[in-house]
This record gives sequence, structure tokens and C-alpha cells, in this order.
Amino acid sequence: MATRDDIERYILRAAQGDRAAFKSLYDATSAKLLGVALRVLNDRAEAEDVLQDIYVKVWHNAARYNVNGLSPMTWLITIARNSAVDRLRKRHRSGTTEALDERIADGGAGPEAQAAAASERRRLDACMAELTVDRAEAVRRAYLDGETYADLAARFEVPLNTMRTWLRRSLLKLRECLSR
Amino acid sequence: MSDRDQPKKDEDHILAGEYALGLLSAEEAGAFEARLGRDPDLRAAYAQWAEDFAAMTDDITPQVPPAHVWQRLEAGLFPDTRRTGRLRRLALWGGGLAAAAVLVLLVFLPDLVGRGPVPPVDPPYVAQISAEDGSLVVQAAYDDATGTLFVDREAGGAAPGRALELWLIAGEDAPVSLGVMPQDTQAVLAVPGGLRGRVAGAVLAISDEPEGGSPTGAPTGEVLATGAVRDS
Repeated sequence: MATRDDIERYILRAAQGDRAAFKSLYDATSAKLLGVALRVLNDRAEAEDVLQDIYVKVWHNAARYNVNGLSPMTWLITIARNSAVDRLRKRHRSGTTEALDERIADGGAGPEAQAAAASERRRLDACMAELTVDRAEAVRRAYLDGETYADLAARFEVPLNTMRTWLRRSLLKLRECLSR
Repeated sequence: MSDRDQPKKDEDHILAGEYALGLLSAEEAGAFEARLGRDPDLRAAYAQWAEDFAAMTDDITPQVPPAHVWQRLEAGLFPDTRRTGRLRRLALWGGGLAAAAVLVLLVFLPDLVGRGPVPPVDPPYVAQISAEDGSLVVQAAYDDATGTLFVDREAGGAAPGRALELWLIAGEDAPVSLGVMPQDTQAVLAVPGGLRGRVAGAVLAISDEPEGGSPTGAPTGEVLATGAVRDS
């Protein structure tokens, strides 16, 4: 399994036009990113299609990789998640899909073995657990299902402004907890 | 930091979280991005959220993409490389068309033969060496007259710091190394004289080995892919 340093090196080399490094990056990370895209889109063909877009963006933006100071996997996951959410929202606008709540949540536990990642996950889980169930669910749905304030307001049957206030408060609580 | 600044800092953390979740309107997101460019504290606030939220993907099961995703990606990004699937096409042509027709095609597609190893025309033997999940796929073509084994790695590759080693397993014999697969996706390997007659009907296997290949002369790592050699 490629280490964080390997992945960072592949990105930096890809930024200089190194195609072999880009292929190594693809080989090391495409299964993870396809998993993320599939989780968001719940449609294999569409997720594979988005995966292609994701790596086109990675290739063209590799030189901007450390502008925001993200770790290499977070940078890739963020591109994957955002691309999949963009596609999902386009799909919703064109009205060709099933209702949001009909999408299945992926409960499968992957063989993600990195201790650092696991501890970050535990930290996040612990802080999410300090929110009420609904509010933690709203944060998860925004990130993993790309739900908007309007989607969330409809789901939790509250006015949009209430939803927004809730979520903003949740974020502040989360940040306080995560910074402890 | 004075207490007076705290509400503004809180607001920035909230805003960065909303941005990371994609909850801002296009206009708000645009304004946020403009600030991001000139405000290192805001960048740090955003980076924190991105790291924290990415942890939500930790237990998502990885999904190995099929080989065509990479092939299309490569064709789109690097239109000057035309290599993927070449061997498979040749194998198909070899099966159905006269060798002469293949030669004609090669003549009219000179970029196919201009660089890198050249796949044999109408090879007598072929094999698809593949992992069950498709994470490693190598097409092989073998010419027993010359002892050359052409390999085309269509999917997958060696793990960083590791090597892929190719093995010949003839009948009940122990695996014999045919060498470490080169970094390039296509390569020609020479089969030693004593083994040339044993390739037909044998099994080719690829194992995960330390860089430079197995130190013992026998496979030491996991066998990643196998394929039977058959008449083309």
C-alpha cells in the first residue's frame, strides 16, 4: 500500500508532467476515490464516469495541490467528493433520479488500516456523538450525500432558516470539540 | 488573540465548515474563495474541516475501477500515446485475419510501431494473466520460434517499492522465473532456451516481490494473477 509520502511524491511529480507518476497515483488511489464517488452517487456507471473527471482535475491541478495545506489523501478525497456532489446536483436538477432518501447508505467497513486515519475518524465520531442524532445526521448527509440546506430543511421538516441555524451551531460545537 | 476577536473567529470557522460541506450559495462560495486567497487563517480553518470531514470516507469500501476507465482517461489526457489494447486487437486480428492483412494495418498505422516494444504479429500463443478482481491484467503473446514473450500490462502495477515477477509453471514443475516485469507497461522478455518448448500449455503467474525480484528464486510474495497459455 502506498504511503502518504508516496502519494504526495506522485502528485508533485504529476505536477511536473510525469505521466508514470500520475499512473502510479491512479493505481494507488483510484479504488478509494471510486468508492467515494459511488457512495455519493450510488450508481456504478456514473461513478466511473465521474472518476475520469476527478483524475482529469487531479492532473490539471496537481501544481496547486498544497495551496490550501491539505494532506494528499484529503486533497484527493475532497476533489472526488466535490465532483461527485456536483454530478449529483446536476442529476437532481434534470430530475432523472429517485428520491434522496431512497439512496442506500454504504455500511461496509473497508480494510482502511492507517492508524492515523482511524484515530481521526474516532475523534470525528466522538465529536459527532456530542451532537443530537438529527444534527449529526444533517452534517453527514451534507458531506456524504451532498444535501443542500433546502434538502435538509425538507428532510427534517423545518424552515430553511431554522435548518441553517441548526447546522451552523452544530459546526461551531464540532469545531470546539475537535479542537480540544 | 483578544476575546473581542472570538466571534469573528467563530464565524470564520462556521463559514469554512459550510464551504467544505458545499452549503454556501454560489455567490457566498465565490466571496469565500476570494478571501481564502488572501487570509491564511481562513485557509487553515478550511483545511481543518477538509481533514475532519474526509474521515467520514474512512469506512467506505474501495472499488477497483475497470481497466477502461484508465484507458479513456489516458486517451483523453495524452492522445499521443496509443498503446492500450493494441495486443488484444492484434490477437483478434491474428485469429481472424491473414497475417498479411495485419501487416497492411501496421503499414497504415505507422505510429503503432514507431516506439517501444513491438507486439509479435500473429503470435502462436497468447495468455491473459489476470487477477480475479481485475486489479492486475497482463496480456501476453509468445513466439516459440524466437523465444520472445511480449507482455502488455493493461491494468494494475507493482506496489510502491515492490516488483511484479513473472513465473512459468509447466505441468507439475516448480515455478521458474521469467524475470521481473519492467516499469513500462509493454515489454519483451526473452525465454531461456531450455524453457522455450515448455511454454505452450503452461500457466503464467505474477507474484508480488521485493524490488529486483524474489531473492530465493521461488515466489516469496502473494500470487496476484495467473493465466493459461493457449493457442492463439
